[in-house]
Amino acid sequence: MGRILLFAVLGLFTAFAAGPFLWVATMSVRTTTEISLDHYAWPEKWHWDKFPAAWFNSNYNVYFENSLLVVLSAVAVLTVVGAMAAHCFARYRWRTNRLLYFVIFSAIIFPPQITIISLFQILVQYGLYNSLVGLSLVYIAVQLPLTVYILESFFARIPSDLFDAARIDGYSEWQIFWKVSLPIALPALATTVILNTILLWNEFLYAVVLITDDAKRTLPLGIQRFMGDQLEDVGMIATGLMIAIVPVVLIYAFFSEKLIQGMTAGAVK
Amino acid sequence: MATVSLAQLAKKYPGGSGLAVDAVSLEVAHGEFMVLLGPSGCGKSTTLRMIAGLESITSGDLSIDGRRVNDVPAKDRDIAMVFQSYALYPHMTVLDNLAFGLRRRAIAKADIERRVRAVAETLGLSELLSRKPHALSGGQRQRVALGRAIVRDPKVFLFDEPLSNLDAALRVGMRGELIKLHHRVGATMIYVTHDQVEAMTMGDRICIMNSGKVAQIGAPLEVYRNPADTFVASFLGSPPTNLIPARFNGTALLVGESRLPVARNTAIESVIFGIRPEDIRIDGAAPHAHGEVLAVEPLGAETILRMRIAGVAGDLMVRGPRTVAAKVGERVPLAFDLAAAHLFDPATSRRIV
Repeated sequence: MGRILLFAVLGLFTAFAAGPFLWVATMSVRTTTEISLDHYAWPEKWHWDKFPAAWFNSNYNVYFENSLLVVLSAVAVLTVVGAMAAHCFARYRWRTNRLLYFVIFSAIIFPPQITIISLFQILVQYGLYNSLVGLSLVYIAVQLPLTVYILESFFARIPSDLFDAARIDGYSEWQIFWKVSLPIALPALATTVILNTILLWNEFLYAVVLITDDAKRTLPLGIQRFMGDQLEDVGMIATGLMIAIVPVVLIYAFFSEKLIQGMTAGAVK
Repeated sequence: MATVSLAQLAKKYPGGSGLAVDAVSLEVAHGEFMVLLGPSGCGKSTTLRMIAGLESITSGDLSIDGRRVNDVPAKDRDIAMVFQSYALYPHMTVLDNLAFGLRRRAIAKADIERRVRAVAETLGLSELLSRKPHALSGGQRQRVALGRAIVRDPKVFLFDEPLSNLDAALRVGMRGELIKLHHRVGATMIYVTHDQVEAMTMGDRICIMNSGKVAQIGAPLEVYRNPADTFVASFLGSPPTNLIPARFNGTALLVGESRLPVARNTAIESVIFGIRPEDIRIDGAAPHAHGEVLAVEPLGAETILRMRIAGVAGDLMVRGPRTVAAKVGERVPLAFDLAAAHLFDPATSRRIV
């Protein structure tokens, strides 16, 4: 009886979570005309050709590449710099340690809408407006506080005896970071990598404000291109969405276990 | 092998009130097993960490083999340390844990391999080399921590309460192994503990510390028999030395209502009379006092009695043989071994006699 209830609840939740995904998936292989006739129908004919059409004719290969470039570089820098900062905050005591930590972390409370105009002006000033490097830098700046926060709480739980042992074993502070801190913090690092990748992969607001060239659009902006003033190519939007979703789903599929490990690490000893 | 010399070593933590370590002077000889003993917070671990180079030295001089090393970083002092928490690197196998310290030191790969295997062999870790620390028992982790120190072949071994995380039976076993290790490698070892049994059984000499200062340095039995002050007298021994306020009256020492024939060779009139529980006998032949039995603790090999004697506020602890037949509430005659007793100055708490 209990099991039936459990499966019923799980089934409902799965439908709730997977339903929209499935809907977009079916639309991605139907034409806009077919969709406007019946929004929810199962594809009569599977228009697989929409994917190469989107990829080559609608510039998705460029958008995908841009997204990959921006997100990967941002996540790489975030992970390394964030881990270094977190290591220092967790490991070393100096007078302004907590103050600096608070200042960095408090940046989280500002919604992006508040900072975006000044960000825009700063980027224009430094010639970074409408450039992938600029967007990547913005992503790093925006995600760094949360990254440091997650990693600091993990680093702080590494017993200081380990660092002392490594110092006596002859290692410098720099080597200790790479050979002791980082490997031990791998689950937490995986969490931040996944979190940042997914968040930035889907990021729209900063990208739409800071990028204008079609050739520099990231995937979310590319999808937006199909929303015209007069008509929306719903079918192509769905195809674009599927292209954008695939990497995220893949990351989840391969790393979800690590993600959960990282998030619950230390919760149970 | 090396000598370690501490001269007026002091440590003040920023923001801390007073000195955590206060003018500690200590000479550790070549190959000596020196135990730093004291209650928690007495500064013994801080002293060890200063020797290790993990804490900066506020003032005083620290020398290893005659060379001042105050400003030499931990990695260049050629010391190894075993931590209470073992501090094994959780992401490395036992083999890597053992080799980690050697890989830093320009030693040929084959040489490292050989040394690690040799140490693993002597510690019975050969089967465990590919395991990670979380898959080891407490005793095995302890061995790895020990092996990590041995494999380095350092000038000085430092131990920071290495046995306190082990259960009682394992602790006794490891104690024996550490003594054997010391005999085999003959290196200078400095060992911090709060456990007086470890200190008594392992140390060539004991340095007893109290609130940051050295209370007494000496061979275990010397320190036990001739405590420098009331702190050492009450810290060493279980149950500890009985410390009873007493007063000279003419030719006798008044302890409560009892008159003890103690020769007066001090100008101080009011003293503290210290006598170990084992130096008191239940003896009707020539009793010095009578005590009322408050509690009896038969420990099998011996019997601990808690007594009250007339005119003394605190209880008197007496260590008797296992054959003691005294019952609670009974009044028994007590004889003191006055040759083994000590007098302390209540003002300075130092020993007079």
